[in-house]
Amino acid sequence: MARDIEDNTAMDAKRFAALAEAYGGDLRRWPEAEREAATAFASSEAGQAISRHAGTLDALLDGYSVQHPGKALHDSILRAADRHLVRRRRQRVWWLGLGLAGIGLAGAVAGLALVSIVTPEAGSDHYVLDANATAFGDANPDAENGEESL
Amino acid sequence: MSADPDEELVRRVGAGDPAAVQALVARKLPRILSLAVRMLGDAAEAEDVAQETFVRIWRHASKWRRGNARFDTWIHRVTLNLCYDRLRRRREWVTDEMPDIVDPAPLPDSHPGEEAHRVERALQAIAPRQREAIILVYYQEMSNIEAAATLEISVDALESLLSRGRRALQTMLARDGGHD
Repeated sequence: MARDIEDNTAMDAKRFAALAEAYGGDLRRWPEAEREAATAFASSEAGQAISRHAGTLDALLDGYSVQHPGKALHDSILRAADRHLVRRRRQRVWWLGLGLAGIGLAGAVAGLALVSIVTPEAGSDHYVLDANATAFGDANPDAENGEESL
Repeated sequence: MSADPDEELVRRVGAGDPAAVQALVARKLPRILSLAVRMLGDAAEAEDVAQETFVRIWRHASKWRRGNARFDTWIHRVTLNLCYDRLRRRREWVTDEMPDIVDPAPLPDSHPGEEAHRVERALQAIAPRQREAIILVYYQEMSNIEAAATLEISVDALESLLSRGRRALQTMLARDGGHD
């Protein structure tokens, strides 16, 4: 971007011709930083001759215009945009559903983990009293009475 | 860097706003189509390129963030890349190092309405990089800085492409006596 920061007063016929050769005769297309100096130089005899020469090709280029986009193309692009928007909305819903399912699954896993932590583990030495057991022994009529046998 | 005039519209397109989609098509389609028509010299192919460019826009709008380039610069680059794909497919690829004048066939006599055709043919006959530079600065009305950014070259390199391109056009158009 050196051209845009250099001193814009340094405009001579050589630079003016180089710019006209690149950008044509219309100063509105010229680099902004050099436009002011170029405008001043353009009124000189040399400037006018250079601009006139560049303007000849500009006039030919101006004659090459292209047609505006037709309705069919315009509508086709809008239809494609609609399809894209619908697809994106569906994707969003799908991801939302997947997210909710993921949250549900994570909740279930967390619940199971919590239950397994809080519930005490049944030990192998755990003694379960049955209905016939007393503090003095088994009151079951069929139970062997150790004391009587002594 | 100045504000990007398209930024807000693109953000709305990315959010799925149908009115913004319509506004973006109205704003950009004429520019994209004219760029493609002049690059390819074929209206039907240019329409395909315009459609493909918009598909890319819809796909990237929600993720588009302004980095070093404006949105307009980005879509010009996308369009030019798609044009180059087609030029390659047509086996019309010529490098910038090739001679400026590649079509030795005489141009048709100038009649009313034929001048545009002569310019179109001459434009198609110059090297693609020179054609790009002329189209961006002359027809797309980009500043030298925007055009250089689109082509990813320096302003000096852009001026060189423009000068060589214009000289080549002048030579070709003068050959049939229609231009001094």
